[in-house]
Amino acid sequence: MPLVEARGLTRTYRKGEQEIRPLDGLDLDIDAGRFVALMGPSGSGKSTLLNLLAGIDRPTAGSLVVDGVDLAALSRRELAEWRSRKVSIVFQLYNLVPVLTAYENVELPLLLHDLPRRERHARVVRALERAHIAHRHDHMPRQLSGGEEQRVAIARAIVTEPALLLADEPTGDLDRSSAESILDLLSSLHRDEGRTIVMVTHDPRAAERAQATLHLEKGRVAETIARTGAKESSRAPANTEAHA
Amino acid sequence: MNLPRALRVLRFPRLQLQRHALRTALALGGIAVAMLLWTIIRSAELGVALATERGASDTKLVVYRQNRYCPFASQLPQHYAESIERIPGVRSVSPVKIVVSNCRASLDVLTFRGVLPEWIDAELLPGVEMLQGSADEWRSRGDAALVGEELAARRRLRAGDTFRSAGVTVVVAGIFSSDDPQDRNSAFVHLPFLQEQAKRGGSGGIVTQFTVTVDDPSKLESVATAIDERFASDSHPTSTAPEKSFVANAAKDVVQLAGFASWVALAALAAVFALVANALALAMQARVRETAVLEVLGFTGSLVAWMTVAEGLALALVGGAIGAVAAWTGLWVLRPAFSAEGAVIEILPSASVLLAGLAASAVIGVAAALVPALRAARLGTAQALRAG
Ligand SMILES: Nc1ncnc2c1ncn2[C@@H]1O[C@H](COP(=O)(O)OP(=O)(O)O)[C@@H](O)[C@H]1O
Ligand SMILES: [Mg+2]
Repeated sequence: MPLVEARGLTRTYRKGEQEIRPLDGLDLDIDAGRFVALMGPSGSGKSTLLNLLAGIDRPTAGSLVVDGVDLAALSRRELAEWRSRKVSIVFQLYNLVPVLTAYENVELPLLLHDLPRRERHARVVRALERAHIAHRHDHMPRQLSGGEEQRVAIARAIVTEPALLLADEPTGDLDRSSAESILDLLSSLHRDEGRTIVMVTHDPRAAERAQATLHLEKGRVAETIARTGAKESSRAPANTEAHA
Repeated sequence: MNLPRALRVLRFPRLQLQRHALRTALALGGIAVAMLLWTIIRSAELGVALATERGASDTKLVVYRQNRYCPFASQLPQHYAESIERIPGVRSVSPVKIVVSNCRASLDVLTFRGVLPEWIDAELLPGVEMLQGSADEWRSRGDAALVGEELAARRRLRAGDTFRSAGVTVVVAGIFSSDDPQDRNSAFVHLPFLQEQAKRGGSGGIVTQFTVTVDDPSKLESVATAIDERFASDSHPTSTAPEKSFVANAAKDVVQLAGFASWVALAALAAVFALVANALALAMQARVRETAVLEVLGFTGSLVAWMTVAEGLALALVGGAIGAVAAWTGLWVLRPAFSAEGAVIEILPSASVLLAGLAASAVIGVAAALVPALRAARLGTAQALRAG
């Protein structure tokens, strides 16, 4: 069974009289252990999809099953609980807590987990080391560069060992070389640890790091490009189920 | 409810308060000042209550000259004592000459009470504890004074000291503690000595008032009426009242002031509420994004609300404790007391006022945090992060 299974996924927003439908009957499967890039024009619903996958927004219609759990069936409280164990999201603008050090930011999600203090500390240190930012553990976000802040954000995302790691334009605000090294980090999290990653990006070069690229258009997956070791790709026609 | 988790997440509001040190200090300062004011006013109210509210076991009457208020103006013939003693229900009567350093309502007045040695033995000594010196020392010297502990503390007096006030110079023969606010704020001297030294208010044969003790507390009123009737057509008509009513009447201004100050105390609590609510509202407004991040990380709305309430509670409790303890310490060191017309009202440091202040702070802290807490808990996560 795929890790993510979306059927007829629809999300509508109301803006006064007008109804906006960023997601409109989207079907999608993502297998565990995959690294998937999500592309599409601005306003095509990429962030909306990611927020649904992250359990911080709810579908208007359709079903969304992640790791065997139907997210639409969960209460607000259950959804929060689910987020704290199963999913993490990395944002374009990092979203670190400004008054907390890098260490404290990474520790934050673990405060929800019943772990011995020692174990919690070990996990925070491991996540900081994994994101190559352990040397800045006692720095405040404002003392860090954008690339460094994003490393802390990634450490915070992986410290809970989530089943699904989401990233919404994680390099969108970074210079070329910082972006490259963040992409290196995400690639290695996928390659070396088998993490399942869904990354929204505008940058084709970033998308190349992924095994598959989904193109969103008019609220659906318009095209899937799968990439194996070589540059062989397959195109799926629109309106059929995308499988990545 | 997962208690270890609820305690663990308190690290977040704690760090918020610590790292926004200036904002926290300003809020704490405001709360501390308000609770300082509250504690002082409540202590004064307590002092008024102790000095003026009659208890069921009160047995003391004060016989004063009718329509006279300042001790200097109340002049009664000392020989009235013999007539008063014969009135049924009277256990003992003592002529008292009172000399004060200041007749009007003010702080730090020194009150001399000239009394007879028999009254000291029969009425004062059984109810007090000698802290320094002795009553024997007092009896053996004409210019000796037995000083109440509150007065001694205020004037930093010790046994053996000589001091001068209102034109009278005395030697401290002993210092005693007492449950009676009037006694523990007075210096008791020999009546003839005071009549001799302080000519003002009448000298030999003239006293300010009589202190009468009755057999039965329930007869307080009827004995008072009997005394006034006895001298009604005399050249010096009297006005007799229970000691606490007398104090309430003499210190009317202070009692009224304390009544008015109750509103100020209430306003101080309102100020604490406003300060906590304002500090939290500003903090939560500045923290909309951070709160959204918490929710993305899996913090539930109720956990976020709990963290906000804890922040309000911490502000109110720490600020309130600083203010209340500062007021308490100040009262303990300075021992202020109002005097008016020879009656004393103390402002006492009291454990019950201190605890009530802390409890009020805690309740207000939680109450003031409720609205910001519920708002923070209801925040829509995705929306908040998109907006930035
Ligand atoms: N909370 C919201 N309320 C109203 N409209 C929204 C909201 N969130 C997103 N939208 C609209 O949905 C559409 C898709 O948005 P989004 O998923 O952010 O696009 P993308 O990330 O692909 O650029 C846009 O037209 C956007 O204006
Ligand atoms: Mg977007």
